[in-house]
Amino acid sequence: MNRKNGWKLPLAAVALAVGLALIASACGGGGKKAATTTASTTTSSAGASKSFADFRIAYDTGIDFLDPGLSYTVQGWAIMWNVYLPLLGYKHVNGPDGATLVPYLAQSMPTVTSDGKTYTLTLRKGVKYSNGQPVKASDFKATIERDYKIDSPGVGFFGGIVGASDFAKTQKGNISGIVTNDSTGQITIHLTSPQGDFENILAMEFAAPLPASTPAKDQSTTPAPSTGPYMIQSYSPNKQAIVVRNPYFDASMYGGNVPAGNPDKMTIDIFGDASVALTRTLNGQEDYDFYQPPNDRLGELESKYANQIKLYTPANTFYFFMNTREPPFNNVKVRQAVNYAINRKALVRIYGGLATPTENVLPPTYPSYAKITMYPYNLAKAKQLVAASGTKGATVTIWGSNNESRRSPEATAYLQQVLKSLGYNAQLKIINAAVYWTTIGNQSTKAQIGFADWFQDYPHPLDWFDVLLNGERITQTHNNNYANFNDAAINSKIDTLKKEPELTNSVNNQWAQLDTEVMKQAPWAPYINQQGIDTFNSDIDLSCYVFNVNYQFDFSTICKK
Amino acid sequence: MAERATETEFTLDAPAQSAAEEHGPAIQGRSPWYLAWRRLRKNYFAFFFLLLFLLIVVACALAPLYASHVAHTGPNENHILETVRVNGVPTDVVSPGGVINGKLTPSLPIGPTWFGAGGRFVLGADGPNGRDEAVRLLYGGRNSLIVGIGSSIFCVFFSVVLALLAGYFRGTTDFVITRFFDVMFAFPVVLLGIALGTALSISGFQHFGISIQAGSLWIPTIVISYVLIPYVGRPLRGQVLSLREKEFVEAAIAQGASPLRVMFSELLPNIASSVLVFFTLIIANNIVLEAALSFLGAGVQPPNPSWGTLISNGRDFIVTRPWLSLAPGIAIVLTVLSLNIFGDGLRDALDPRAKVKVEL
Repeated sequence: MNRKNGWKLPLAAVALAVGLALIASACGGGGKKAATTTASTTTSSAGASKSFADFRIAYDTGIDFLDPGLSYTVQGWAIMWNVYLPLLGYKHVNGPDGATLVPYLAQSMPTVTSDGKTYTLTLRKGVKYSNGQPVKASDFKATIERDYKIDSPGVGFFGGIVGASDFAKTQKGNISGIVTNDSTGQITIHLTSPQGDFENILAMEFAAPLPASTPAKDQSTTPAPSTGPYMIQSYSPNKQAIVVRNPYFDASMYGGNVPAGNPDKMTIDIFGDASVALTRTLNGQEDYDFYQPPNDRLGELESKYANQIKLYTPANTFYFFMNTREPPFNNVKVRQAVNYAINRKALVRIYGGLATPTENVLPPTYPSYAKITMYPYNLAKAKQLVAASGTKGATVTIWGSNNESRRSPEATAYLQQVLKSLGYNAQLKIINAAVYWTTIGNQSTKAQIGFADWFQDYPHPLDWFDVLLNGERITQTHNNNYANFNDAAINSKIDTLKKEPELTNSVNNQWAQLDTEVMKQAPWAPYINQQGIDTFNSDIDLSCYVFNVNYQFDFSTICKK
Repeated sequence: MAERATETEFTLDAPAQSAAEEHGPAIQGRSPWYLAWRRLRKNYFAFFFLLLFLLIVVACALAPLYASHVAHTGPNENHILETVRVNGVPTDVVSPGGVINGKLTPSLPIGPTWFGAGGRFVLGADGPNGRDEAVRLLYGGRNSLIVGIGSSIFCVFFSVVLALLAGYFRGTTDFVITRFFDVMFAFPVVLLGIALGTALSISGFQHFGISIQAGSLWIPTIVISYVLIPYVGRPLRGQVLSLREKEFVEAAIAQGASPLRVMFSELLPNIASSVLVFFTLIIANNIVLEAALSFLGAGVQPPNPSWGTLISNGRDFIVTRPWLSLAPGIAIVLTVLSLNIFGDGLRDALDPRAKVKVEL
């Protein structure tokens, strides 16, 4: 052996051993019991404040925007619910009562004319933004108009306001159907036709007033002044958001409808790894894990941390959209074939068993839900349909996001295999969750098929059919109807049911029938309704845990032991 | 006794004549390449690691054979609801999980069967999709090696061309090429790789008449070769600049040799040893860079495996199934280590200071 190289073998062996030891030590061991947090806490006693210094949240990468005009994700709204208050909102309580609408910035619930076309509200007096500026009635009008200027995904909700469609086309002038009076604080909204969910629409973040001077561009990283108990102090995309108390918020003005909140500050750390987020939470470095825990850690949670977790069932549906404008999915036989070919039991297992299989648009928590069983797993039938369509061999690109909480990479990898088994040349395209929805919602992307999920904005079938499946609400960008489903009869039925002021049994039955009619045309392949787990560290007092049916876990009401 | 050549009659043939007169062995000239090979073949340490590298390459190249004849599955085939008999016991490839009998139960992929299932799932399944980890490890190695070696070839080729042009022509050509290197140096390699890889992974490359689809291995290959060009090109340029001043180059130019001939017949052979060493070492570097980009989602695109994507996918099960990330990690370590050690040995063997000298 060359003397020059004589030292290299032992050195290489030592280096290899050290490297392996480092890898092994990084992987070894489960989480320790939660350590004492470093944040100072206020000692709680009977009747005393439950406020505490810092609520640290381990978040996933799904925040699209922190601009109330643009954000349309659970991740964004969970933060902004307590930051930007609309005129109306929901009670911060558990259970079905959490779907009850209450006045937020409005003094009281709107008065509605007998024809259902005019809503009148009055702004609470003395409400200020987080920069001290008073909130004016005209700010509401300016906010809705801003939504149109920034191509908000929420503009479809305001299409029924008189003058909105003209404003949408020209973006000149103003929306004539919104009349405001800054001196009295009165806001009057005229609709072209009655709309059964309009009060719910007024409770959406898209309708949360911002100062009229707010620029008509994304304000995520230069947060707009807020009206809620909190304000966004800073936001670095994919890194961190800091939310602090709004110094100009006065909870006493809201009669208990908007609590002051317990944390003085919320530090939202964004992680790209569910296991890291969970481990940090269980170790006490974070207080709450927004991620769904990895499948393999459920046993650990059950055996060691059972009193630190909350299992919940939000109203959601996970589905594969199929773009009815793009071949081969412009052929109904192909869409039905996909529905027959996916084994929903396999997909439930991908989600760790924390899911129930579905073929419906609506989730089973809805009174208007009637279980659909049109597409039992049948690969042979699926292949027959593909053969009949004459599209075998077509190239198909499946879109998915890298969001681990939603298991999108795994679900779309499964779908790719299914499409290959049907004879398609299926390619997979996984992109960052933060840009996924805007990418597939852009018509120029021409996304053929892909992953999608929907968590209700408010408990009404309109929030599903009108937003996601009404052809009249297809837009060029920020489109929510990813299937570009546009059936005149179904559009007409949706528009008719939209005018119903209440969800009576008869109306619910009609929505259930519509669910079946839509699924006959199969613009979607719905596959599961997911259950979720909220995980906390041991310092958190879960008696304060509030799960709202729309906004899920309420960050503001949680408290520490 | 034959008359010896006097000092004034000394020629280069003198030693050979003396050896013939004394009936000694004939002196044979040896090229630098032969001498380098002689030094290299005595370096058993370097050869061992070359053998290890070749073993890894062969194993990965035989991935399709393993997949079809041993594991009986492809790298992307899902087996979510299937069961296999492990030592006669039926076992779920992916166990059902969720709330079972009122308790939260984990859903786990099958662990290593170590040929207890007839060759299926030797290293277990990779996660909720129930794909064979051993098959994906081998296919992942193929992709990582293809990208690593392919990008090295492109990188070295373009680096050599740019270095020759810059070093030979000097002046404006050198200025432009060197500034290009400077601009590329200003970007951190990994960040530039992520930016380019992410952008091209969405829409592919559709320019200059070239069409490369988004999921193609060409994307990470081109990205990695592009970002590393200055790291090879710059040192080679320095060598070419130095050689450019040598008399043999001047002589070639004086004889009317064209620039192309001078570059490829005079300059290139003299930097060939450096090129060879660079090539070997940069393969190792590129394999690591590919793993990093794939881990971050900017390299090989899912569901195609590479060692980097396997490490990334294994993170979800790092607590209960650490081998899903460890196995590809160890594969990377062994591959890079073997290339680096062989590259070191090659560099030692090609040391120019050990060239044959005429002794008087």
